[in-house]
Amino acid sequence: MNVLNFPILSLVTYLPILGAIVILFLSKERHEAIRWVAMVFSTASFVVSLWLPFYFDSTTAEMQFVEKLPWIQYLGVSYFMGIDGISLWLVLLTTMLCAISVLCSWEAITERVKEYHVFLLILETGMLGVFMALDFFLFYIFWEVVLVPMYFLIGVWGHPARKLYAAIKFFLFTLFGSVIMLLGILAIYFYHGGQTGVYTFDVLELMKTAYPYSSALLSFQNLVWLAFFLSFAIKVPMFPFHTWLPDAHTEAPTAGSVILAGILLKMGTYGFVRFNLPMFPESSKHFVTFMVTLSIIAIIYGAMVCLVQRDMKRLIAFSSVSHMGFVMLGMFALNAQGVQGSILQMVNHGLSTGALFLIVGLIYDRRHTRMIAEIGSGLSKQMPVYATLFAIVMLSSIGLPGLNGFIGEFLILVGAFKVNYIWASFAVTGIILGAAYMLWLFQRTMFGPLEKPENMKLLDLNAREIATLVPIVIMFFWIGLYPSPFLKRMEVSVNHVLEQVEKGQAGKVNPGTKAASVGATERHLPSIIQPTSGTSEGAPGVRER
Amino acid sequence: MVPLSAYLILSAFLFATGVVGVATRRNVLIIFMSIELMLNAVNLAFVAFSRFLHSMDGQIIVLFVMTVAAAEVAVGLAIIIALFRNKETVDVAEINLMKW
Amino acid sequence: MEITLPPVDLGAITPELIVTGTALVILLVDLFLPRDRKTPLAYLSLLGLVLAFAASLPLWGRARYAFKESISLDPFSLFFSSLFLLIAALTILISTNYLEREEIHRGEYYALLLFATLGMMLLAKGMDLVVLFLGLETLSISLYTLAGFMRARLRSNESALKYLLLGAFASGFLLYGIAFLYGATGTTNLKKVAVFLGKGAPLSDPFLFIGAGLLIVGFGFKVATVPFHMWAPDVYEGAPTSVTAFMIAGTKAAAFSAFLRIFLYSLAPLKPNWSAVLWVLAVLTMTLGNVVAIAQQNIKRMLAYSSIAHAGYILVAVVAGGELGGSSILFYLLAYALMNLGAFAVVILLGQKGEENLNLPDYAGVGYRHPLPALAMAIFMFSLAGIPPTAGFMGKFYVFSAAVKAGYIGLAIIGVLNSVVSVFFYLRVTVMMYMREPRAEVGPIYTSPALAAALVIAVWGTLQLGLFPGRLLELALRSIRPLLG
Repeated sequence: MNVLNFPILSLVTYLPILGAIVILFLSKERHEAIRWVAMVFSTASFVVSLWLPFYFDSTTAEMQFVEKLPWIQYLGVSYFMGIDGISLWLVLLTTMLCAISVLCSWEAITERVKEYHVFLLILETGMLGVFMALDFFLFYIFWEVVLVPMYFLIGVWGHPARKLYAAIKFFLFTLFGSVIMLLGILAIYFYHGGQTGVYTFDVLELMKTAYPYSSALLSFQNLVWLAFFLSFAIKVPMFPFHTWLPDAHTEAPTAGSVILAGILLKMGTYGFVRFNLPMFPESSKHFVTFMVTLSIIAIIYGAMVCLVQRDMKRLIAFSSVSHMGFVMLGMFALNAQGVQGSILQMVNHGLSTGALFLIVGLIYDRRHTRMIAEIGSGLSKQMPVYATLFAIVMLSSIGLPGLNGFIGEFLILVGAFKVNYIWASFAVTGIILGAAYMLWLFQRTMFGPLEKPENMKLLDLNAREIATLVPIVIMFFWIGLYPSPFLKRMEVSVNHVLEQVEKGQAGKVNPGTKAASVGATERHLPSIIQPTSGTSEGAPGVRER
Repeated sequence: MVPLSAYLILSAFLFATGVVGVATRRNVLIIFMSIELMLNAVNLAFVAFSRFLHSMDGQIIVLFVMTVAAAEVAVGLAIIIALFRNKETVDVAEINLMKW
Repeated sequence: MEITLPPVDLGAITPELIVTGTALVILLVDLFLPRDRKTPLAYLSLLGLVLAFAASLPLWGRARYAFKESISLDPFSLFFSSLFLLIAALTILISTNYLEREEIHRGEYYALLLFATLGMMLLAKGMDLVVLFLGLETLSISLYTLAGFMRARLRSNESALKYLLLGAFASGFLLYGIAFLYGATGTTNLKKVAVFLGKGAPLSDPFLFIGAGLLIVGFGFKVATVPFHMWAPDVYEGAPTSVTAFMIAGTKAAAFSAFLRIFLYSLAPLKPNWSAVLWVLAVLTMTLGNVVAIAQQNIKRMLAYSSIAHAGYILVAVVAGGELGGSSILFYLLAYALMNLGAFAVVILLGQKGEENLNLPDYAGVGYRHPLPALAMAIFMFSLAGIPPTAGFMGKFYVFSAAVKAGYIGLAIIGVLNSVVSVFFYLRVTVMMYMREPRAEVGPIYTSPALAAALVIAVWGTLQLGLFPGRLLELALRSIRPLLG
C-alpha cells in the first residue's frame, strides 16, 4: 500500500548515496564544494522524509509507502521497503541527525574531507535502509553495510590515541552478533519454508508462522530468539555486551558519536520491537524477567559509572548505556504505555544524546581535550549561548517536565509500574542518579570561577554551530509540550505488536508445533537442535508452485 | 595360486615404506625415490586387482602411471638442479627460507 | 579380454583442443620473438582462451558422454570449464606487467599456464578416474614448473621443490585410493561406480572405505585442507605472485570439481561415512586457516592461509550436500576466484621489483597515495571477509544456508564465528591502507591497461555477484543437478 504511488522511501534512502557518488567525482581539494554537496543531499533526504508523517495514515498498523520488487527470486528475496508507526520517527530522526552531522563536521574535519563525507553519506543510506527494510535479506545487508563506513569514521578520523582499537572492537562486536542473527534468520526461513512450502525472506510472511515453542530453554523459538537477541543486545548495547560502546563513542569524531548514539543504537532496540516481539511472542514473554533484569542493571550500572568519569565524552557514552536500559525496560513491560514510551524514548535519546555529543564536540574543537578537570570551570561566563544550550540539552536528558525526555521516561515508568512496582522503583533510582551526574557535570564545567587562562579567550558559538543545535532544541520542546502527533502515529502499530505478543501462537496463520504436516516438523526439529546427517530434499529452487 | 591379499599386503608394505621414507629422510633425491616407491606400490595393487577382477583397466592405468611418473621425475630433477645451482645442497632441512 | 578403442569424438573436446593448440603455437611463435618483446604471446593466449570459451558454448544444453563415457559434457563440467578459462584469462592479464618487472618474461610461461588450464578442464570433464588422474597431473606438473619460474630466486626454487614433493606425495595417495576403489567396484568409470553402489551393493566393503579415505587424503593435499595443508603457505609465498594467484583461485576450484564428482556423485551412497570425516576436516581447516592468518605479516602468506580457511567453508557446503549445498560450492568458487585474483592484482600492482613491498606495513597509507587500487583492495578484503554487498557475502550466505537447511547447525555456528575471526586480519589490510601514515618513499607503481582491466573485471564481478546473484545462482543450481541424479 503506497498512498503516494511514488517510491518515496527509496528516494529518501538513496539520496545520500547519490550525494556520495557526486562527491566521488569532485576533486579532493575542493573541500567547500564537497561539504556543500553532502549538506545538500542530506538535507534533501531530510526534506523529502518530512512528507512521510503528513501522508502517514495513523489509523492502520499496515506497512505504508510500500515498495516491493522481486530481487533474487530463486531464494525468495525481494526488495521490500515500508514503514509503520514504529519506524516512521526513527527514519525522521536519522535524516535529521545526519544533516546535522554534516553541519557539525564543517570545521572539525579538515583532513581527507572527501572520504569522510562519502562514508558519512553511505552510512546514512545504510541506517535508513535498516529502518525501512521488510525483507530479512535486505535488512541484513543494510545492517552490515552500516558497519563499514562507521568503522572507517572511527578508525580514520577518530581520536588518534586509541582509534584503531575502538574501530576494530566496534566492528568485531557487532559483526559477531549479526552473524549469529543471520543463522537465526536462516533457521526461520527454512522452518517457514518447510511448513508452508514457500521459501521467502519477507518479514511479514515469516511473522505469520508460529515457531515451535516449549518452556525448555532450548526450544526452537527460544534459540532463534536468543540469536536475534545477541545481535540486537550488542547493538543496543545491553548490559554485559556494552563494552564496545564507551570506546567507540569516545574515540569517534563528533559526527560519528552523534550518529552512533543517536541512530546506531536505535537499530538494536528497533530490532527487538520489530522482530523479537511479534515474531517470537512466547519467547519474548519467556525472557521478560531476564531482559528486565539486564535493563535495570544497565540503568543503575551505567549511571554509577557516569558518576566517576573524568572524561566528558566517556561520561555521555555511559549515560547512553543507562538510557538505553530505560528503552529496553519499557519495551519489555509489554504494555501500550511501556512500548510507546520506549519508542518515543528512542527518538528522545537520539536527540538529546546526539545534542550532548555535539556540545562536547564544540568544547573539544576549542580546547582539544575532553577531560573535565582540564576543561576547567566557569565557562558560562565566557560562553553564555553555549551554556544556555547545554543547560537545555542536559535538562532534556535528565527528563525535566516540559521537555521531551520527561514524556518518554514517564510513559516507560507507567508501563513498568503497571507490571511490577519494584522495576519502576529501580528505574526511578536511575533517573535520580542521572540527574546527579548530569547536573554535577554541568556545575563543574559551566559554573564556578573562570580560572584557566585558556578559557579566558574562548569564543562563543557561531551561527553555524548554533544552527546544529537549534533544530534539536525545537524538537525537545515540541515533543515535551505537545507529544500527541508523535504518539498518535505510533499508537496503532504498537497496539498491533502487542496484540501479536498477547495472542501468541493462536494469532498466527500457519500453526507451528502441531502442524498438519507432522512429518516435516519432526524431521526439522531434532535436526535444528543437533547436527544429524542432513536431509536436504526440496531446496528452495525446486519448490512446486 | 597366490591370493589377492598377499599382493595387497606387499603393496601396502611398499607404500608404507615410501611414506616413511618421505617423512624421515632429508636428502631430496631419496625422498624422491621414496615417492616413486609409493607409486610402484600402487602399480602393484592395480595389477593385482586387474588380475583378480579379470579386467584390463588396471594394467592400462599402470602404463599411464608410469608415464606420468617419468614426467614428474623429469620436472623434479630439473627443479632440484635449479635449486642446486642457487644453493649447493640437497638436504631439505637446509631448504628453509620459509618455515614449513 | 579384448580391448576396443572408444570412438574418437573430437567435437566433445574442442575447447581443450583449442587450449592445447594455442599453447603449442605459443611455444613455436616464442622462438621468433626477441627476448624483450613477449607481450604478443599474452594476447595470443587470451585469444585462445576466448576461442575455447566460444567453442564451449554450443556444448551447453545437451548433456552427453564421449570417449566411452570417460568424458562427461554436462552443465557441471561446462560451468567449471568456463570458470577455469576465466581464471586463466584474468591471470594472464595480471601477469604481463609483473613478468616484465621481475625480468622473467618468457614464452613458456603462457604455454605452461595454458597446459595447466587444460589439466583443470580435464579434471572437470573427466568421468573416469584415469582421466581425472591425467588431468590432475597435467595441471600439477605445469604448476611445479611455474612455481619455480623465477629460476634465479631461491624462494621460488624452494616453493617449486616443496610443491613437487608434496604434490607427488599426494598423487601417490590419490592413486592408491583409485586402486582400492577399482578393486572394490571393478571399474574406474565414475558412472559405473555410481551405478554399482546405487544398486545396493554391500557398502561395508573395506576396500571401499580404504579407497574413499585415501582419496580424501589425496584431495585434502590438493585443496590444502588441514591437516594436509602445511605445504600451501610456503608454496604460495615463494611462487611468483601471478602464479600464486592462479594456484589459489584455479587449482582449488579444479580439485574441488573432481572431488565433487567423485564424492557427491559416485560415492553418494557412502555420504553418512565420509561426511562425518569432512565435518571434522571443515572445522579444523576453517579454524586453523583463520587463526594462523592473523599472525601473518607477508600478504601473500596471509592470503595463503585465508585460502586454506576458504577451503574449509567450501567443505561445509560439501558436508551439507544436496542441491543447495552443491550449487553453493559452485557459486562460492566463482566468487572466491574473482576476489582472490583481484586481491593479487593489487598485490602485484603495489609490489616492487624482486618481490618486494609485500609485507603488511608496506601498505601503510596506500589508501591516500593510490586511492583506486586501495579502494579495490578494500572491496576484495571486505568480500573475503564476507561483508555485504559483495560476492564473498553471498557465497558465505549461501554456504551457511545450506548447512542450516541440512541441519548442521553446529557447523554453521563454527563457520560464522570463523568468519568473524577472519574479519580481523582482512580488516588489518584496510587499517594499514587507510589508518596509518605512509612510510618513507617507495618506488613508483607501474600499471598497465591489462592489469587495470583485470582489476575492473574483478571489482565488477565481486559487486555484481553480491548485488544481483540471482542468475548465477540459478546457473549453479542447473550445473550441480547432473551430479545429484
